[in-house]
Parts: sequence; C-alpha cells; structure tokens
Amino acid sequence: MLPRMLNLRWSGYVGAVGGTALITAVLAPFQQQVNSTTVALTFLLVVLFVALFWGSRPALVASVLGMFCFNFFFLPPLYTLTIAHAENWVALIVFFTTALAVGQLSARAKQRAEEAESRKCEAESLYTQLQAAFERESEAEAVKRSERLKSALLDAVTHDLRTPLTAIKASITTLIDEARGQSVGIQSVTLDSESRFEMLEIIDEESDRLNRFISDLIDLARIEAGELRLRRRWGAVDEIISTALTRAKSLTTNHNVEVKTEKELPVVRVDANAVSEVVYTLVDNAAKYAPPGSSIVIYARRDPVGMVTMAVEDEGTGIDRHMRDRVFDKFFRATRNGDVSTHQPSGTGMGLAIAKGIVEAHEGKIWIESGRNGKGTRVVFTLPIGDDDAPQDGKAVFGL
Amino acid sequence: MNDRARILVIDDEPQLIRVLRTGLKSRGYDVRGASDGESGLETFSDWHPDLVITDLAMPNVDGLEFCRRLRAISQVPIIVLSAKGEEKTKVEALDIGADDFVTKPFGIDELLARIRASLRRANAPPISEATQVTLDVGDFQVNLESRQVKVRGTDVHLTPKEFDLLIYFIKHSGKVLTHRTLLAAIWGGNYLEQNEYLRVFIGNLRKKIELEATPRYIVTEPWIGYRFDPGS
Repeated sequence: MLPRMLNLRWSGYVGAVGGTALITAVLAPFQQQVNSTTVALTFLLVVLFVALFWGSRPALVASVLGMFCFNFFFLPPLYTLTIAHAENWVALIVFFTTALAVGQLSARAKQRAEEAESRKCEAESLYTQLQAAFERESEAEAVKRSERLKSALLDAVTHDLRTPLTAIKASITTLIDEARGQSVGIQSVTLDSESRFEMLEIIDEESDRLNRFISDLIDLARIEAGELRLRRRWGAVDEIISTALTRAKSLTTNHNVEVKTEKELPVVRVDANAVSEVVYTLVDNAAKYAPPGSSIVIYARRDPVGMVTMAVEDEGTGIDRHMRDRVFDKFFRATRNGDVSTHQPSGTGMGLAIAKGIVEAHEGKIWIESGRNGKGTRVVFTLPIGDDDAPQDGKAVFGL
Repeated sequence: MNDRARILVIDDEPQLIRVLRTGLKSRGYDVRGASDGESGLETFSDWHPDLVITDLAMPNVDGLEFCRRLRAISQVPIIVLSAKGEEKTKVEALDIGADDFVTKPFGIDELLARIRASLRRANAPPISEATQVTLDVGDFQVNLESRQVKVRGTDVHLTPKEFDLLIYFIKHSGKVLTHRTLLAAIWGGNYLEQNEYLRVFIGNLRKKIELEATPRYIVTEPWIGYRFDPGS
C-alpha cells in the first residue's frame, strides 16, 4: 500500500512540501537554540529522503523550499527574505548548492538502482523464458528420441519375427503344393525326399528360433520390470561352465573351445541356471562372430575382493571401443566386421542385454575388453562369491 | 524356357536362401544364393542369372545399393523382398529399377507368380512404336497411329493423357510402377510430387476401362503406385 502511495504522481511534491513544512514547524520554536548548521543539515536530510523516494524533481522543490524556509525562519533578520550577514549568504548558498547536488545525485543513484533492478528482472524473466523454452525443446527432443527408439525396436522385433515366419511359410506352402500333387501355374512341384526333409528341418529350426526369440523377449521384459528372482545355491564354477558348454556343443563344432580356470576356485552362491545362461550366451556370440577354426577361451579366477571373475574370449575382429557399451542394449548386434546393426541375421539381439540383467541381479558387473594382443573380443563379468546371508530364493526365471 | 531359368537369391538370412533354393529348385529353376550385395554382384558377374531376388535390409551393400549397382550393368528383372512398413525403401528400390516386390512373410506361390511374370516380361519381344502400329495385349487392342482403343472388343474414347497413361501401362504390364515413375513418364520431371494429377487421371481411366468398382486392370499397390494387368 505504502509503495503504491509513494509512487503516485504528485506524492513526491506533497512529500517535499510536507517534509520541509514539518522540519520548519519542529525547529522554528527553537530558532534561538539551534544553530544554522543544524538547521541546514536537517533540511538537507529532507532533500535526501525526497530524492531517494521520489526522484530529482520533488528533490529540487524540497531544495528551493528548504532554502526559503532556512532563510525566512532561521537566518537573521527573521521572517524576512533578506540576509543581514555575509556569512549567512555563504551558508545559504552552500546549503542550496549542497541540497541541489545531494538531491540530484541521490535521485540519479535511485534511478540507476531502479534501472539495474529492472534489467535484473528482465534478465531473470528472459532466463526463465529461455529455460522453459529449453525444457520444452528438450522434452520434445526426448519424446522424439523415445519415438525413434520405439520405432527402431519395433522394426527389430518385427524383422526378427517375420524372418523365421517367412522361411516357415515358404516351406509349408511348398510342401502343401506337393501334397496336393497339383501343378502351380505351369510348374509342377517335384520334391525329392531330401528336399522334403530339408523343408521340414527348416520349419523345425525356425519354429525353435521363434520360440527362442519369444522366450528372450519374456526374459528381458522380466529383467526390465525388476521381476528377475534368483534361486541362489552354493555351486562350483566349473560345473556352471561345463553345463553351458554342453548346451553350446552344436554351436562350437567349428571352433576350439578351451577352459582355463584357477585350481582353487571357491564355490559361489549364485543361480547356477542363470549364470550358465550368461556363459552360454557369451560362447554362442563368440562362435557366431569369430571365424571358424579360431579359439574360444573361457576363463575363471578368484579376485582378492571376494569376487569371481569370468571371461569368454574369441579371436574375431573385436568390437570398436565406442560400441562396447551399446552392444548390451537390446536389439543391437555386432556384425562380423565390428560394426553394429539391427539387421544382423543371427541371434535375437537380446542375449547380451539378458546376460547383463542376470549379472547385475547378482550384484556383479559385465563389460567388454579387447582380447589377447588387442585382438578379438573378451567379455568379462564378475560375481560375488556370496555368503549365507545373501538374499534367498524366489521364483527362478531361468531353467523353468 | 523357364524350366532352367537361373535365379540368384540374395539375403543375409541363410535359412531363407535355403528354403528358396529348395522351393525354387523343386519348380525347375536353377538357384544360387549370396549373403550380401557385394557377393551377389560377384555371383551375378560370374553366373549371369535370368532373375534376381534380393532382400532390402542387409549388412555391407544393402538391397538398395545392390539394385543401383546392378542396374548400372544389367536390365535383368529384380524382385525385392521387403517387410510391411518398409514402403519408403520399397518405393526407392522400384524407382532405382527393381521390377517387383514381395512382402514378407510370403507363400511360395506368390513369389512364383511374380517370378513367372517378371521372366515373361523380360523374355517378351520389346514393343517398338517405330515398327508396331497396334498393340494387342490381353483385353486391350490399341492402334497407335489412329489412337483408337478397344477394351474387350468395345471402343473406348480416351483423352490424350489417358491414352499416354494406358500405353505406358500396357508396355509395362505386370510391373509395379511407382507414382514418381508414372508422373515422370507422362507429365515430365517437373510433376514428380503431383500425385493428385495421377489420381485424377487413373480415376478417369478406370471409369472408362474397368467393368466393376474393384479395379481389375489397374491395381493399386498401397503407398507404392500401380500395377497393370491386361487380363486374359
């Protein structure tokens, strides 16, 4: 309320007149007791306040009024506008000059302060607007990125579903044509027993592939939803590796598989099925991306910090350093030349994402390094050896 | 002729090559496979197939680049295998020079029909306006000099643009023609984005030549263009 009143157009002049009148009224009864310096300084105080609150023009009015009141009421001869002594002329002129200067300087300082405040407000407002614009832009960009990601994931999923379906449908339609014993268009269908068997084999393999893809999708969805429950039991690392290698036997017929484990490896308290799945995935990847005849080595050793470190190493072309984190993203696949693509045929593109989920659920870490002599790929993961206090049981996702 | 026609199948999916090799061989075709565009071009140079079937999404040299490079050296029919949702790439492939496409997953009979149509077109004697005055294809008889058109034996009056459009369709019977290809052929390069011109003229042409509401001769390939079937 007060600031609004102070800001009224005429309030400055009212303040100047009122302030001067008030000081005159207060000091006039004591004109004999107070000296001219005290009076002049008190009037200067009025000018200063008026300048600070209302600016230069009301301050000018206060200065002129102050000069007249000072002369009329306080400088002899009293109640006249004449001045008897030369030193009083000096006092009056000094007062007036000082009042003018104080008034103008204070008003200017106030104006500058107001301008600075206004600029600050303007800058803050611009900053807020800019920040809001950036946030909107960044939200829009995030939405776009998310849409692009969704679209890429959808493409990858549909590609992975359609490809085996295409092989199955093409095989089945060939077999149906043959079973009907009729010609298609101008072409008769002639399938020998070997071709018929191959068609059936393709249907079988591609059905398995579809099933694997769907199982992987479900596993990944569970991991992402935080629903992966581990059934931890004490078990030997050698046995886990052996289980994985037995399962991967048909995939590694063209590679030399070697296991290098420390002699005194401790037993670990893990979900053996889940960890075996990790080793299987890494061996499967190594077999896919390393040339036939090359070696795949599985390492396991104890760490001084209560962990077991395992690794699967191949002699392929390796994965570029900047791609090493991305291969753990779902649907990303490393090609044989080390590039990454969502169109690589083999695998579901989910194996490493699932492996990462399993390792992290065990409070371990997984990462990619270069193989020996900087060649090939080594996927390393750690698992805590564990103790009996580790989280117990729950529904095992893997091995059901 | 088709019994021993050579077909080159290019796909990065070994299983698809396997199934097509067996399926097409059982129909009397000679089939070879390649796993990417680069090796496909090599096989093409060594083997000179009569038709090429290629996937679009492949590592290294993809289907589009393969079509581009192949068209630079040969006019062999190309059928592209694509997935639903790849319309843009499909159109690009057809614009580059692919002759037809089959959408995955497909039955072998559908692919065989496309193969037969493409081989028939490739083996048909070229239609030359300089030597040929009349075109007699399926239900259509056209006199190129008098610009008279008969459909199922009945005279049909066409505007000059409709006539040009019909002749272009007849000369490319069975082939998928993209909007851009038709616009460029009939209206010229400045009208490549004017799909509405095409829609209006196709609509008018259909009213004059089709028997039923569902087009039988000028078949729409959604998002791609049109395919002309001259009928029996």
